[in-house]
Amino acid sequence: MPSPSSGAVIAVRELRKSYGALRAVDDVSFTVERGEIFGLLGPNGAGKTTTIEILEGLRKPDGGQAEVLGIDVVRNPAALKERIGVQLQSAALYPELTVRELISLFGSFYARSLPAERLIGELGLGERAGAASKQLSGGQRQRLSIALALVNDPELIFLDEPTTGLDPQGRRSLWEHIDRLRGEGRTVLLTTHYMEEAEQLCDRVAIMDHGRILELGTVTELVGRHFRDRTVRFESRAELSDTALATLRGVSRVAHEDTETVILTRDVPRTIGGLLELADGLGLEGLDVAVRRPSLEDVFLELTGRALRD
Amino acid sequence: MDILRGLWPMTIANVKSFRRNREAMFWTLAFPVIFVALFGAIFSGGSTRFEVAWVDHDGTPAAAQLRAGFGQVRMLELRDAAEDEALALMRQGDVDAVIVVPAGVGEAMTPGVAPRAPAALVLYTDPSRSTATQTLNQVVEQVVGAVNQRLSGVPPALAVETRSLQTQSISAAAYFVPSILAMALMQLGLFASIPLVAQREKLILKRLAATPLTRLTLVTSNVLMRLLVAAVQTVLIVGVGALMFGVTIVGNLLVIIGLIALGAVTFLAIGYLIASWARNEEAATGITSAVQFPVMFLSGIFFPIAFMPEWLQPVAAFLPLTYLADALRQTMVGGAAYVALPIDVAVLAVWLAVATAITARFFRWQ
Repeated sequence: MPSPSSGAVIAVRELRKSYGALRAVDDVSFTVERGEIFGLLGPNGAGKTTTIEILEGLRKPDGGQAEVLGIDVVRNPAALKERIGVQLQSAALYPELTVRELISLFGSFYARSLPAERLIGELGLGERAGAASKQLSGGQRQRLSIALALVNDPELIFLDEPTTGLDPQGRRSLWEHIDRLRGEGRTVLLTTHYMEEAEQLCDRVAIMDHGRILELGTVTELVGRHFRDRTVRFESRAELSDTALATLRGVSRVAHEDTETVILTRDVPRTIGGLLELADGLGLEGLDVAVRRPSLEDVFLELTGRALRD
Repeated sequence: MDILRGLWPMTIANVKSFRRNREAMFWTLAFPVIFVALFGAIFSGGSTRFEVAWVDHDGTPAAAQLRAGFGQVRMLELRDAAEDEALALMRQGDVDAVIVVPAGVGEAMTPGVAPRAPAALVLYTDPSRSTATQTLNQVVEQVVGAVNQRLSGVPPALAVETRSLQTQSISAAAYFVPSILAMALMQLGLFASIPLVAQREKLILKRLAATPLTRLTLVTSNVLMRLLVAAVQTVLIVGVGALMFGVTIVGNLLVIIGLIALGAVTFLAIGYLIASWARNEEAATGITSAVQFPVMFLSGIFFPIAFMPEWLQPVAAFLPLTYLADALRQTMVGGAAYVALPIDVAVLAVWLAVATAITARFFRWQ
């Protein structure tokens, strides 16, 4: 395999893994640079978890190569496990053991480990340190599993769907913790099916579907690559017909989402000017217009023809 | 890749998880103790009369006088028999003890004749029935003492020599203590399947696989934890047997500890075998119950296998609990053998080897 650039902590080339007829990972290649948060993005069943578990040394690929921290994940998974931090999707912990006991226990598995009290403090688990893991809320549990992923002070951390199942508040709080990891100089590979999460956290993302990487780059790059248009949206009004809207300057398309009308345009000021004139002429009042840059969500929709969340 | 790294913390974690699981605590510790207490109380209807077979090799009037002396003790019921017959009666449990009057007793008791050595009465008792043995020893010693005193002026003419004889009819409590210990060890092992399957289902095993902890360390920590619990079970069950029913342990402690460890590990291997087979926690619970109840009733835990219908006896001959219970009864309380001890050990070893081999082949970690 080509020697990865000096900063690469993960180098994956032509990785493949099938389950029967299903190609879970189909010729996947990418590199992750030191110090970045890299997102594998895709719907359930896209092959994100299989990919990440191969990189964690938990699964054997059928073909291709993967080097993590310079270690071949197939040949030397034991050395690899010593140096990475792992959070598994929806993995539980010993339900009867307390937060403090679990962190100390996991620390004992590694040649060197951080003090439990420090991790408890850093992840804001101080008040729950003596609570059994089964008594924790979803957000606390996720923070505990991140504490466990950090127990060996790893340079590289894998987070598989870290915020799934959390309420928006819990999600935002966890984002802060993940963001801080980058600040500490660690590299993070995370999977998610929340576009917002990828936009908020990731330096670069790879969009996966059906086991393949469809696009790879920064969020801005991906959006720019697919959309020059912006969207203008407002609550649909019967008086404003699609045909009339389509004639406004700059408009490339008119669509509907739920109760909203969405206009794609290359020229936001002219389109809005025309729209307001049109509304004025019809005597409409209180038209609430929003302008939005297309998001990763739109990129994904464009690439796969399906929405991400389902 | 150090097997010892994490072993002790993991063992402690297992012990804590176990201790905090009320259900596991109840079934492995409280339940067997309740069993011993209950069955011991029901079946040892404390009779204070002892049937004693009287064997007279002397035949002199002095020996007859001695018999009359013993006959006055209200606690004893004497029954004349030839020595062979007497010992057979005791083995079958028809009498509690045997007293043998050797030839020469009459001469030794004759006033004015100084015996070269005291003539020895022989008392056979069953040491696994410690209370009975103690009482009988005391009674006989008292009677003999009284006779010696009456013959005062001469050196002691009579002494008592006690001999052990293992009998078919160890007391009910002495039967139950090792049997229920064997049952408790079985439950300890079989019930290990449930948390193991739960840990697989909840991806705890997978999460551990993502750390440097080796599978061997994980399994070893589980074995150590179960052995520790087995030790607690043993102390509790034997303790209750001793305190409530006076059951004493007569065998070699090292042999007994070795058998307990072998039994615990064998049933743990069978528990792992169930875990290889069960897809989820409910299935593991179902299989474990489905296995343990018939095995419990068909392995001579509650009554000797000889009392079972003949067509069921081959089933008992196949079950590992039969052999563990048999081995423990033989060594702990001197119970009658179902098979010789080495065969018990061999059968358990075969079960252990087979269960381990199948588990190693089919156990899924994820």
